[in-house]
Amino acid sequence: MDILNLAIYTLPPYVVALFALGAAYRVSRYIFLSRRAPVKRRSRPASKLLIGLVKTFLDPLIIGARLRKPEFISGLMMLHILGVIPLIFLLGQHVAMFSYWFPPYSVLQPLSIPSSATSSALTLTAPVRPASEMAWSFVGSVWGPLTIVLNGDLLAILAMLGVAYKLGDKVWRAYKRMIHIRPGDFAALLLLLAILVTGFMATHHLPSGDIVTYRLVLGTHIILAEILVVILPFTKFWHFVFGYWYGKLHEWYDLKYRRGAL
Amino acid sequence: MSSWEVFGYDAVKAGARAVVGRLNPVLLHFVENCVGCALCEVNCPYTPAGEEYGPVEKAEPLRKIVRGQVFLSARLLPQLFGAKLPRTAEELDRWAELAYRCTNCGLCYTTCPFGIHSGTMISHLRYFLLMSGRVPTLLKMMMDLEVSGNILSAEAFSRVWSELAEKLKGLGVTFDRKGAKYVYLPSLAEALITPGAIVGTAKILNKLGLDWTMPGKPLSVRAPIAGLVGDSEAVLEVTKRVVDYVAEVGASTVVLSDGGYPYRFFRFDAPALLGKPLGFEVVHIVELLHEALKKGGLNLKETDRKVTWHSPCQLGRMSGFIEEPVEVLSSASKNFVKLESHGLFSKCCGGGNGIACVVPPTLEMFEKLLGTRIPVSEREKAFLDKLYKDILVAGKAKVDEIKKSGAQIVVTACVGCVHTLNMTTKAHGVEVEIKTLPEFIADLLPG
Repeated sequence: MDILNLAIYTLPPYVVALFALGAAYRVSRYIFLSRRAPVKRRSRPASKLLIGLVKTFLDPLIIGARLRKPEFISGLMMLHILGVIPLIFLLGQHVAMFSYWFPPYSVLQPLSIPSSATSSALTLTAPVRPASEMAWSFVGSVWGPLTIVLNGDLLAILAMLGVAYKLGDKVWRAYKRMIHIRPGDFAALLLLLAILVTGFMATHHLPSGDIVTYRLVLGTHIILAEILVVILPFTKFWHFVFGYWYGKLHEWYDLKYRRGAL
Repeated sequence: MSSWEVFGYDAVKAGARAVVGRLNPVLLHFVENCVGCALCEVNCPYTPAGEEYGPVEKAEPLRKIVRGQVFLSARLLPQLFGAKLPRTAEELDRWAELAYRCTNCGLCYTTCPFGIHSGTMISHLRYFLLMSGRVPTLLKMMMDLEVSGNILSAEAFSRVWSELAEKLKGLGVTFDRKGAKYVYLPSLAEALITPGAIVGTAKILNKLGLDWTMPGKPLSVRAPIAGLVGDSEAVLEVTKRVVDYVAEVGASTVVLSDGGYPYRFFRFDAPALLGKPLGFEVVHIVELLHEALKKGGLNLKETDRKVTWHSPCQLGRMSGFIEEPVEVLSSASKNFVKLESHGLFSKCCGGGNGIACVVPPTLEMFEKLLGTRIPVSEREKAFLDKLYKDILVAGKAKVDEIKKSGAQIVVTACVGCVHTLNMTTKAHGVEVEIKTLPEFIADLLPG
């Protein structure tokens, strides 16, 4: 079995199982350590609390946009919003693989993002649907002309620039001997960068167009992504699954719901 | 002499174990879910004094402690996973420097994209430092005094309190009266720094016609002062004493005029610490005023003077009274103006969390009052001198806001804020009167 077959057809169930175990461990610590405090909350109107909930999530974004523009543009917009989030969940190839293992995921098929501007051009100009062994083609994307910019190539480049910015920031802080910089910061970002680079190379048949190299590069891309999923509960990538949501919801509950700070 | 010169690795390890024993889900989240984006730096009052004083950096020592005690990966590969305990006195001093650049104002909490409150972590870090021998001498003195329960043991403190009590008797105040519905709990710190707040609160409570009393002697220096170094055991002892006193009187409501950490603690944190409801309501004087004004039970004489409100972080952001004080002051002054940052993101004065209470001017104030020198080692003195320089930098943003508002009077409701603003406005050459809310409102009560 070559690396690509291993990555696509063998490992995913094990990866998901290991991720689930890790996630269960992380979440269980929160459950076992929890204690209920007998504190009387301050009464506030439900409508204000609801607005407060939205603001709890929005405020850091607004503050970032106002007071830390490079981080907002590179770290949030390029890396997260335009980069990895649409790439992970909507890139056509990813939708195809996720749908193979989890058929209901194919509901997102119409939202698929093509891998490049060339393939997006096809969606506009191709008179017929391309022949494909797959159960569906990328031609049916709802994005239409938007795929000129909303394509894997551009989004991957933005994400890579975002990761590069984050790495640069960490290097600068490490140079200034700030103690919150850890080797794990670099490991996580380098892993992410490696996934993005190998994915980009695979879609462009780099470094060469022969099938063996292609399968090796794509297999490496998927294996690296699977490593990320396995270690996710134990790295800072956990923020995406749990930390962000728990943190902001807790802050809202603590400050706004309980203390009434609206 | 302070313990600042000493370094003992056994004490450091014991401190680390003690801190880890306090883990709860929220603290665990604060410790492990930071991604290091450092957005918290933009709103922290101490970042202008140095980027290394940003919350993400200041909280890192606690993370290093917890990782090394809790996470298997960090125990096996401490370098890789960021686990470490200080090995030298210099390293420990550095951690103390970071921990005492946090006012626990909560701005990092609302700014953080992950809802991480670095101030909470730093209070645990301060407990570790206390156990490792790094606690400012003056703060330790006050903690010990409060735990002893004999708050007026020093002749100077007793004198100040007696003079105040005489004034209060003149207002018809009764002390330790059993059966009163309300108990007003002023602290020694208020008597020393904001005595007008105590007199003002007494006048307001009388005007509102409440059935109230207060202790004949202060129950605390500023309860619970040990909370400033995260000493839960000492905090619990003082809290129980206060709760027992209120139960003895039989009151259903405790009134506080100090809107700093005492209000936040008794209103929200004490029941969690005790593990049961206190058995009485805790209200701030602004709450009673707001309610009376809203119901039409009180009319104030309006002043023409330009007044602004400095929202104490613990009363506003951390206890929910953001607009109520503004509404009270708006009905007291025709020229009330809000400060630029008013609201959930109101800027901190820069002196909270005990910082203003340990800097050299405060130390000198106490030395003068007590008529004796408070012994501080050279090492601690260097720490305090640098802290004083930094408090002035940290407080500048607030002073600039005050200056821009053009206000003649800054009203606030926290002993620490009053003390800090007196220092920072003077240092930055801004002439403004600093008053507590009860003091200001009491002058406008109808005859």
